[in-house]
Amino acid sequence: MAEFSLDVLLKGNSGKNTRGLLRIIILLTIAAAAVASRLFSVIRFESIIHEFDPWFNFRATKYLVQNGFYSFWDWFDDRTWHPLGRVTGGTLYPGLMVTSGVIYHILRFLTIPVDIRNVCVLLAPGFSGLTALAMYLLTREMSHSPSAGLLAAAFMGITPGYISRSVAGSYDNEAIAIFLLVFTFFLWIKAVKNGSIMWGALTALFYGYMVSAWGGYVFITNLIPLHVFVLLCMGRYSSRLYISYTTWYALGTLGSMQIPFVGFLPIRNSDHMSALGVFGLLQLVAFAEFVRAFLHGKQFQKLLTSMVLLTFGLGFTGLIILSVSGVIAPWSGRFYSLWDTGYAKIHIPIIASVSEHQPTAWPAFFFDLNFLIWLFPAGVFICFQNLKDEHVFVIIYAVLASYFAGVMVRLMLTLTPIVCVAAALAASTILDSFLVMSKPTPETQAKANADKSKAFSSTRNPVVGIYSYFSKAVVTGSLIIYLLMFVAHCTWVTSNAYSSPSVVLASRLPDGSQHIIDDYREAYYWLRQNTEDNAKIMSWWDYGYQIGGMADRPTLVDNNTWNNTHIATVGKAMSSREEVSYPILRQHDVDYVLVVFGGLLGYSGDDLNKFLWMVRIAEGIWPDEVKERDFFTARGEYRVDDGATPTMKNSLMYKMSYYNYNSLFPAGQAVDRVRGVRLPAESPTLNTLEEAFTSENWIIRIFKVKDLDNFGRDHSNAVAFDKGLKRKRATKKKGPRVLRTE
Amino acid sequence: MKPWNSLILCFSLLSGVLATKPSVDRFEKYQTLSRSGPVGLDSTSFAELTTAPRDYYAVVLLTALDARYGCIMCREFDSEWELMARSWNKGTKLDDLKVVFGTLDFDHGKAVFQKLMLQTAPVLLLFPPTIGPFAKLDAEPVRYDFTSPIGAEQLYSWIGRHLPEGPKPPLVRPVNYMRIVSAITILMGTVTLFTVLSPYVLPIVQNRNLWAAVSLIAILLFTSGQMFNHIRKAPYVAGDGQGGISYFAGGFQNQFGMETQIVAAIYAILSFATIALALKVPRMEDVKGQQLAVLIWGAVLFVTYSLLLSVFKVKNGGYPFYLPPF
Repeated sequence: MAEFSLDVLLKGNSGKNTRGLLRIIILLTIAAAAVASRLFSVIRFESIIHEFDPWFNFRATKYLVQNGFYSFWDWFDDRTWHPLGRVTGGTLYPGLMVTSGVIYHILRFLTIPVDIRNVCVLLAPGFSGLTALAMYLLTREMSHSPSAGLLAAAFMGITPGYISRSVAGSYDNEAIAIFLLVFTFFLWIKAVKNGSIMWGALTALFYGYMVSAWGGYVFITNLIPLHVFVLLCMGRYSSRLYISYTTWYALGTLGSMQIPFVGFLPIRNSDHMSALGVFGLLQLVAFAEFVRAFLHGKQFQKLLTSMVLLTFGLGFTGLIILSVSGVIAPWSGRFYSLWDTGYAKIHIPIIASVSEHQPTAWPAFFFDLNFLIWLFPAGVFICFQNLKDEHVFVIIYAVLASYFAGVMVRLMLTLTPIVCVAAALAASTILDSFLVMSKPTPETQAKANADKSKAFSSTRNPVVGIYSYFSKAVVTGSLIIYLLMFVAHCTWVTSNAYSSPSVVLASRLPDGSQHIIDDYREAYYWLRQNTEDNAKIMSWWDYGYQIGGMADRPTLVDNNTWNNTHIATVGKAMSSREEVSYPILRQHDVDYVLVVFGGLLGYSGDDLNKFLWMVRIAEGIWPDEVKERDFFTARGEYRVDDGATPTMKNSLMYKMSYYNYNSLFPAGQAVDRVRGVRLPAESPTLNTLEEAFTSENWIIRIFKVKDLDNFGRDHSNAVAFDKGLKRKRATKKKGPRVLRTE
Repeated sequence: MKPWNSLILCFSLLSGVLATKPSVDRFEKYQTLSRSGPVGLDSTSFAELTTAPRDYYAVVLLTALDARYGCIMCREFDSEWELMARSWNKGTKLDDLKVVFGTLDFDHGKAVFQKLMLQTAPVLLLFPPTIGPFAKLDAEPVRYDFTSPIGAEQLYSWIGRHLPEGPKPPLVRPVNYMRIVSAITILMGTVTLFTVLSPYVLPIVQNRNLWAAVSLIAILLFTSGQMFNHIRKAPYVAGDGQGGISYFAGGFQNQFGMETQIVAAIYAILSFATIALALKVPRMEDVKGQQLAVLIWGAVLFVTYSLLLSVFKVKNGGYPFYLPPF
């Protein structure tokens, strides 16, 4: 009876419906799992925005929600980059803020009382569910087997390579951009397959959305033309290709130019030239195809050769002339540094200094992708087996993205989708042949023998099937073990590595209970409550967004690094003597200086460890006044203890970090736990600053810049007087005596 | 013009030797010697060039070019330094701004290195004038420290900062005609070769297996961290401090060249086993053979994956997962 009812469900038309329903249920479960595994940080800590950049996005979103779209578009922010300000509305990718603004207003319209903070915190997990669905759609285009799509969706939902950028609270552009990336590629594949203007236009629409959301859109801008170019080289020109590409390019470029930050870049910047070039090439090829119908062989050949040579020559010289005359901007630094890997370190230290721009060591790949990393090449190989247009796309994407991910850690994010597609293809091919009950019969063998035609060496023989149940059990069993381990790995990685808000640090007490270190917020709220609304805070640029977001005070520099000179000014103030720094601080109206110091707690991401980058960036602008060499001892060591160089000891950063630090320890016992050294017995003296606040674990130290002395003395004299030191007799003037001649 | 110059030089040399006339002639002397590049100095001429009353700037590079000293930066920098001195000397001379470029090799001037207590090379010293319009009170030479390889452009801007304001001869990098010509030749040669060989080459270029192999190798190399080795110049292997070799670098963000090759090989074995299971095995017609192949490939997959997990555990001590054999 039971078998009979199963038969009804699984066979015929209702079987199809049952499977469809099952698929939907599975997909919804995957989406739910994707959302759920990203909630560790909310459950462990609280609903809080993470890290650095998200704080700016959060602040911008609040501005958007409060002031409306148009004033957001024209937003000039005078509370950052003091005294320059920032044309924020024109220098950001608004997609993320607009998305959460729209969601917020819809929820409000449905009378669901929701806080904008919660919308922002939960946006990334929500979109990751959508990404899993988009992944299903994309992979389904690559394979006949529906299991491939489901596997890909499951992989994408929980793989740490994507979770790393989309846990709850990491409210960054990537949160929605990866969904848009995958979905745009799905639409593009659909457009190429069908040759329909509708799919092409939809691709352009989502491409436009992607441009508004993330600077990584350049990846799509170059990958799609490359796909078309390779297809042309393979002699696979078709009207489908022509229709989809020209539709996408024309509409997509117009769409992307609507974003103020992008503006005219798509026609003036070398990053975008390949798309334009392929657009032109496609027109020529289409014209040649058109002419071919009217001419016979030899004439056509001649025409084609001369046309190719002519256009190539013209295009090349045109490009050179336009580049030299400056109409087309050269490659942007970030993009260029992907190809010339030594470029950033020499020319743009501010890019090289960011830790997520470092090259990727192999453990990071395995950490982020687990067993997908070795299914990935197998999946790419399977794509070579069919090699339809969409498989060419997978192959190009796979090779390019693995190169990019090798050069820069953060681009692991663009590699992850294609790894999931390829790995799902490989896994589903295995499962499809090993997870079937029926054995091969002589009939199928004979049938398989009939279509021996494929040219590809490994698949020349026809598919027969698996004979014994034992083989099936072995392979399926081991694959299930790998899959289960993958799930365990993903959960472990997410829980241990990617769920810390980094604003709040967690540590374990000896008894095993969790201890929360909340110095950042403590200090930012101190600033918020104890300083004037307009007090300018100087800190290294890493903390600019957080100060703006949490303390709501104007800053000198922030993570938007648009003005290198201004950052170098801060670097110079931090790395120079007080006598040099004080005028700089006064000129920039600085009221408070904030430093991060991890010496007490052993927190290694502190300012003294970033100090050399400050020096380097300052040296780039003032090579005579700040020299990196002076911060190293004669033997080339970077030291902070007794052996530190005088330049180091007199630098403002050093003094602020260790000011009064020895008072925590018995005399002469002060230890810096990050650098593991014993410090000099005396505390550095600060003349022009005074300590205003130090957080519980000394992670954040805030110093107030003194006003000018009331009696017109310089600060070192004033401090000496206050300490009761005898005033030094005015020593005789140095230098040779000169005859007065007035 | 030229004969006059050399005549003057002869006179000035003569007079220099005979009458030991001070600096003006010294400048002329070195200026003329250095027509096509920096003057080669030794201990005595270095002392002569840099003695106190001088009305010119002297820029001296102290270097150690001989292969024995193994100073790579010296040799790399040498051509840039030549270029710098040559383009300065060839540029339009200014009447009052006098600069002499000199090179002192360690072989010829050990005494100078000892006197200046120099432990490293190369070192660049800039001696400002002590008399004349640009004289400085502080006659101590300015020192440029080579922390990383630099080009002539950076050096030019450094020297420019220490010279007084005003027009200076521009830095002219000669066009490398050789390179252009060779590039064009190679390009045309490739095109010709391709045209001639196209009946033989095209089948190879259009071979799907070849492309598959190339793409897979590229992917394996990139995902096993080859770019990290390339960018960070990671060592191939390192000793473990007890005379042996340690194949795996300690730490999660660090790796050796050989380590990545091992990992790439592991990935390759795993991928190949997967391909075999997915594509080859279902196409085998022999029942026994198929059973054997499934067992072999399944075992290879399992054992190698277990090895990979154990290797990863070495890199990341807290990693809790493993598979039986390793």
